[in-house]
Amino acid sequence: MPPIKAVAVACDMVTPYGWGIDPCWQALLDGKTALGPFSRFDTKSFQTGNAGIIQDLSPDGEESLVMQMLRPLIAGSASAIPQDARVILATTTGEIEIVQQGVLNGRKDVSSGCPDRLLKKVISLCETKASGMVVSSACASSSMAIALGSARIRSGECSSVLVVACDSVSEFVFSGFSSLMALDQDKARPFDKNRSGLSLGEAAGFVLLMSEPRALRESRPIIGEVAGWGLTNDANHMTGPSRDGDGLALAIRKSLQSADTPPEAVGCVSAHGTGTLYNDSMELKAFKQVFGNGTVPVYSIKGGTGHTLGAAGLLETIVAFGSLRSRIVPPTVNLLEVDDDGHGWVSPEPCTFREPVTLTTNSGFGGVNCALVLKRQA
Amino acid sequence: MRSECPFMVGVAGIGWIGQGQYGCVRRELRRACDDMKVLQSHLRDASIFLYPVKHFGRFDSVSRMTCCAVALAMHDAGMPYSRDAKQDMGLLGTNAEGCLQSSLGYFKDYVESGRTLARGNLFIYTLPSSPLAEAAIHFGLCGPLLYMTFPEPGVDQVLRCASSMILNGETSGMVVVKGDEREALCFILVRKDEGGSDGLWNLDDVVKVAREISLFAISDRKENGES
Repeated sequence: MPPIKAVAVACDMVTPYGWGIDPCWQALLDGKTALGPFSRFDTKSFQTGNAGIIQDLSPDGEESLVMQMLRPLIAGSASAIPQDARVILATTTGEIEIVQQGVLNGRKDVSSGCPDRLLKKVISLCETKASGMVVSSACASSSMAIALGSARIRSGECSSVLVVACDSVSEFVFSGFSSLMALDQDKARPFDKNRSGLSLGEAAGFVLLMSEPRALRESRPIIGEVAGWGLTNDANHMTGPSRDGDGLALAIRKSLQSADTPPEAVGCVSAHGTGTLYNDSMELKAFKQVFGNGTVPVYSIKGGTGHTLGAAGLLETIVAFGSLRSRIVPPTVNLLEVDDDGHGWVSPEPCTFREPVTLTTNSGFGGVNCALVLKRQA
Repeated sequence: MRSECPFMVGVAGIGWIGQGQYGCVRRELRRACDDMKVLQSHLRDASIFLYPVKHFGRFDSVSRMTCCAVALAMHDAGMPYSRDAKQDMGLLGTNAEGCLQSSLGYFKDYVESGRTLARGNLFIYTLPSSPLAEAAIHFGLCGPLLYMTFPEPGVDQVLRCASSMILNGETSGMVVVKGDEREALCFILVRKDEGGSDGLWNLDDVVKVAREISLFAISDRKENGES
């Protein structure tokens, strides 16, 4: 008996480009960046004053920044979310303002900033009745959450999973990345020869996954299939990726095996592409290990949106479904001079592809790697 | 799907650390350690750590407890490990607070330094998955690595998630850790041939054992709001 397919039937997101998927997709195609100066907190001591900020959010609002993102997003799609959907929330820092206020203002209830509390709020927003969980695995959090949700559907454990992801730009996170000298002084330039770091961004989004039989039975629009996944860890270094790309290459091979798909069937790759020297170099090495001499178009959206941390994988999955629908590889925003290792792989120009398969990859602190194989018939 | 799976999941080892003591369940080892700050050297002297943990002094307290608990569970399982010869085994962690104390510590340090200079070595522990990553590096475990928590966290939920990952073919084994600054419980889950005893414990039995370990029975009751 063939395995049950996990398909995406609804999704939405808010990014530094604004609310919804279309503004992000169109801006990426136009090669426009949403990165720029911001005034949420003082950045003069940090490496840069640029980030990908969602303009509508109020840092002094009654709700946390991530709840300000999630509430309208989920309300706008509440009728599409079945009550039996299991919620998987992916985040790295969640409602980090509560921790900041605990230190700055002596706020007592700092434990309300724990991820399980945010999960309860999200479940309440979704009005679902099933159990939920938080998944956190650094910058691969939301792609891992999609993998876990899809695995639950494939195994028959459940027929509907709502993956929700969020992270905000905070002084907490900004100061930390700056202390690690990980930020580009201007704007991130993934896969550029002269790249010098990442730019932080903020975002939230959701993907509603469903078993294909149920989606067909309920006449849901099928956006695409999560056909395979591979999860690995470099076991090498806390902040830097393995230089040889072996860990990510293993994750990609596992994902292709899970999808029963050969490497030559992949039409393009949505890379993690942060803009740091070591990440981008490691990724290109991993892609070359898997795809050999046959180059595959590779792109990164982080020169446009910034690195949205725990939300990055989910955003990139939604963009990849858009890419599969149109069979267009978006350009890598801010790419001026392609890295010597990236010739024939990355481009500042959009291009087309024919295959119905996309690979997305994410890697993060602690050496985590996640690869997803996405499919969509024309 | 599951009925077609050619193997099951068994528990090869369980290690635990509580108030002033630590142990291995299958080996029925229980030892006192009045000063938990010297736990690592206790475990090294007892050859439970096969080699020194690099940068152990820089770890946050959850990472220290996690590494020690994993060492005890590996010892309980009689499982060799090496930083250089990596094995396809993942890590799944849970606790009630995530990395709350390390996050507070990092930000307090940053604020006290005038909000101009943060310390990267404190920042890296402000992810709930960081203690697992430290353990992965030391023990050479290159399978899936993730932190999970639930509205009502319990060890049985993470055991079942880890078991599913093995049954689904995502990895050949999982290390499951429930740990915070004060106590930790760690399980080694591996594939088990269907019908064979393999000397492994069944997951359901282990969930009962976990509840019977007194320190965790206390923790679970507190988390579930029982008196």
